[in-house]
Amino acid sequence: MKHFRWNIITLLSFVVVTSVAVGDCMADGTLYKASKVYTMDGDPLEPGQVLVVDGKIKAVGEALDLAGAAVETVDLGEGSVLMPGLVDAYSQTALASSGQNEVSDEVTPNFKAADAIDFSSKALRRQRRLGTTTMCVCPGTQNVMSGIAAIIKTGKKKMNIVNEDGPLLASMCSDPARGNRARSRPDSIFVRQPTNRMGVVWIMRSTLDKANRAVESDSPFTVVKESLEGKRPLMFVCRISHDLTSVASLADEFGFDPILVGGQEAYKVKEMLVERKYPVILQRQRYDTVRGAEGAELLWNQPGVLAAADITFALSGDDLLEQARFAHRNGLDHEKALAAVTTTPASLLGLEGQVGAIKVGYDADLVALDGEPLELTTSIRQVIVDGESENQNKEK
Amino acid sequence: MFRQINFVAVCLVISLVVSANSFAQTPIAIKGGTIYTMAGDPIENGTVLFRDGRIFDVGKDLKIPVEAKVIDAKGKVVMPGFVESHSSSGMSQANESNPIVPYVSVLDSIDPMSNYFRQARRNGVTTVAISPGNSTIIGGQAAVIKTAGEFLDDMILRSEIGIKISLRPVSGSRMSHMARLRKAMNDARRKMEGDDEDEDKDKDDKKSDDDKDKDKDEKDDEKDDKKEEKKEGSTQAGTAASARQATNKALDEAMSALLSGELPAIIYCERAMDVGQALRLIEEYNLDATLVLGRECHKAAEQLAGKEMPIILDSTLVYWDEDPRTDEETKVVVTEVFREQGIPFTFQGSRTGGATLGSSYLWYQAATCVKHGMPREEALQALTTLPAKFLGVEKLVGSIEKGKDGDVIVLSGDPLKVSTWVEKTIVNGEVVYDREDDEQLKRLLGETEAEE
Repeated sequence: MKHFRWNIITLLSFVVVTSVAVGDCMADGTLYKASKVYTMDGDPLEPGQVLVVDGKIKAVGEALDLAGAAVETVDLGEGSVLMPGLVDAYSQTALASSGQNEVSDEVTPNFKAADAIDFSSKALRRQRRLGTTTMCVCPGTQNVMSGIAAIIKTGKKKMNIVNEDGPLLASMCSDPARGNRARSRPDSIFVRQPTNRMGVVWIMRSTLDKANRAVESDSPFTVVKESLEGKRPLMFVCRISHDLTSVASLADEFGFDPILVGGQEAYKVKEMLVERKYPVILQRQRYDTVRGAEGAELLWNQPGVLAAADITFALSGDDLLEQARFAHRNGLDHEKALAAVTTTPASLLGLEGQVGAIKVGYDADLVALDGEPLELTTSIRQVIVDGESENQNKEK
Repeated sequence: MFRQINFVAVCLVISLVVSANSFAQTPIAIKGGTIYTMAGDPIENGTVLFRDGRIFDVGKDLKIPVEAKVIDAKGKVVMPGFVESHSSSGMSQANESNPIVPYVSVLDSIDPMSNYFRQARRNGVTTVAISPGNSTIIGGQAAVIKTAGEFLDDMILRSEIGIKISLRPVSGSRMSHMARLRKAMNDARRKMEGDDEDEDKDKDDKKSDDDKDKDKDEKDDEKDDKKEEKKEGSTQAGTAASARQATNKALDEAMSALLSGELPAIIYCERAMDVGQALRLIEEYNLDATLVLGRECHKAAEQLAGKEMPIILDSTLVYWDEDPRTDEETKVVVTEVFREQGIPFTFQGSRTGGATLGSSYLWYQAATCVKHGMPREEALQALTTLPAKFLGVEKLVGSIEKGKDGDVIVLSGDPLKVSTWVEKTIVNGEVVYDREDDEQLKRLLGETEAEE
């Protein structure tokens, strides 16, 4: 099926190329001209041009020679900047309000976020306007193993799922134990484990153990087994330093390579992360307080500190560009701040070669801005997903 | 003759003591920076000189006294400290639980050690108007204070700048909320008129009104009063009345200050409909008013055009407005709506982690205004001179001019740039924040290792 789709795309682009070559008068593509283009693939181009044909990037350069081809030209104007669409490696934005957490069971690895995505949700629209074009939609954190994430595009085209069989999500934090009552208490609706942090780890361990022994193909644990065998990324939500070390010891026990999500206290176990090369997907944090979720001690410059230690990390969650700005303000260098919301999350999601950079053959996911992306006074003018543009100027 | 000499001697001694005292503060000179005075063009490579807590001089090539401590600001930006025009932070509790308390003052609730002030100094805010919260009908008196000081008395710039009125009903309907507010105003007005007509006329006439209006607390107080009075015996009835009068005296005084225009009203409007109500109140009771506007109030901006009253916006400066029927969203830049109407305004920072990452910081709010179309100069004014004018302290703070309070900040670069930090905050001629000594910030930025 996938091959079939690719064939069509190749075929289509071939047709387009031919028509461009013969100088057909139809506007088959769009040429974006900007004062600066952050391709995220080498130095920025000043000025730069990007040719988009059929939802893909056809050509990138300082001045493209189109040999008289009829393309629609969009001149973004003086001072404009073009950068790749932002990639959010951990998001719960697009899930329908009732779709985040399963309360009937603690371990639901075969549940799919793709089944609960509300493509018409306003939250999703908002994130698109803020520049996010690719999103890894993850199930909630109240299950020890909550299910399979889906990777989607935020474009207006309905149901644009890039990969419905994304990473598996596990929670190594106190969320699964929150609000649960002991079985002896009859006053709760759901009698559900775990009720404390030890319980979370115990259930996690027994799940991994069951997965190791899973043989039947229809068992929910085969999903977990795939992760243990390295066939499916395994994301662990863990915020406090000792949660991160718990994940590491489970990883030793069962032999897998986790992606850490949240990681508010990742800086405290920096050496471990360097040694094991675990990537971290940092969650949105506030910059006007010193404590985060679960009482984590925040380090405002965590991105800068992780970067200095050469630990792979991405920023995630709502309003990525603003997050990159604050990461930069607090110590992360400019280039790495941009990478943390584009190329790095793309590669963590296994989408390098498709999104995260402005490069020939990549999806035409672009953000057009009226100035330097990391300045507070810069605003987003257009967000283009798969070649489709949404104008931001509809203001009152 | 001797007496006269004595007198002169005493005068000399006193003046010596006074001058010794004032010279106890080392004069400061900030040298070499780009000075945005906010009163005229920026001065490149200029100097600001402080003495006795005030700005002694500002300009190019100033002679710096030898005893002055010189702060090198080469390559840096020097600006007046920011003025926050409305905040309910820094108080131990922003809202009084009784609904009509015009006589209480924020000054009794401000905690100089509050984290808010620390954050404020770190972010360049040197003056703030602290107002009661938005959950009390008549919430009490606001005050303008400096953000530095150990004792509140040292911080006060202007006490009693106005009485906070909130049009947002916390419980019950908007109708009952307005009715309660009006009743309080009408009662006060009647009393004032009564007093004017006949000073001697005993308050007994108004007793019935008072009783209806009385809160439970006050009744309890009364019982206590009565117990004491019984001991005293014969004059019981008389003292009971006077005790009640005493409890109401503060209320009456505050209300009459409000109604006579002596104290302005600081009216919080949550929704656009409240703006109309506020304007009615202002007209009906002839109030001198400042409006604090919730984000939706931009819809009533037209009504405010040309009114020339201070307007303070909510911390949400941009949002997506949703049509309840079509679900269609429209981006609303609140600041631009007011600018189109030619209404000068300033804005607030959010109290706790607002919708956007930096909205608790005033510099961020100003950058947001510029991002959406406000000229830079105007945004900088909204941080300094304009709020100072709104608060009636423009002669003291808001710009770098001779004789004004020595409230200045030194920034590492352009005030609206993402990578700019406040390096020094100077309040009343004293350095009250120095980034080099900000151990907490150093820890947060990973410059020093956190202590385990």
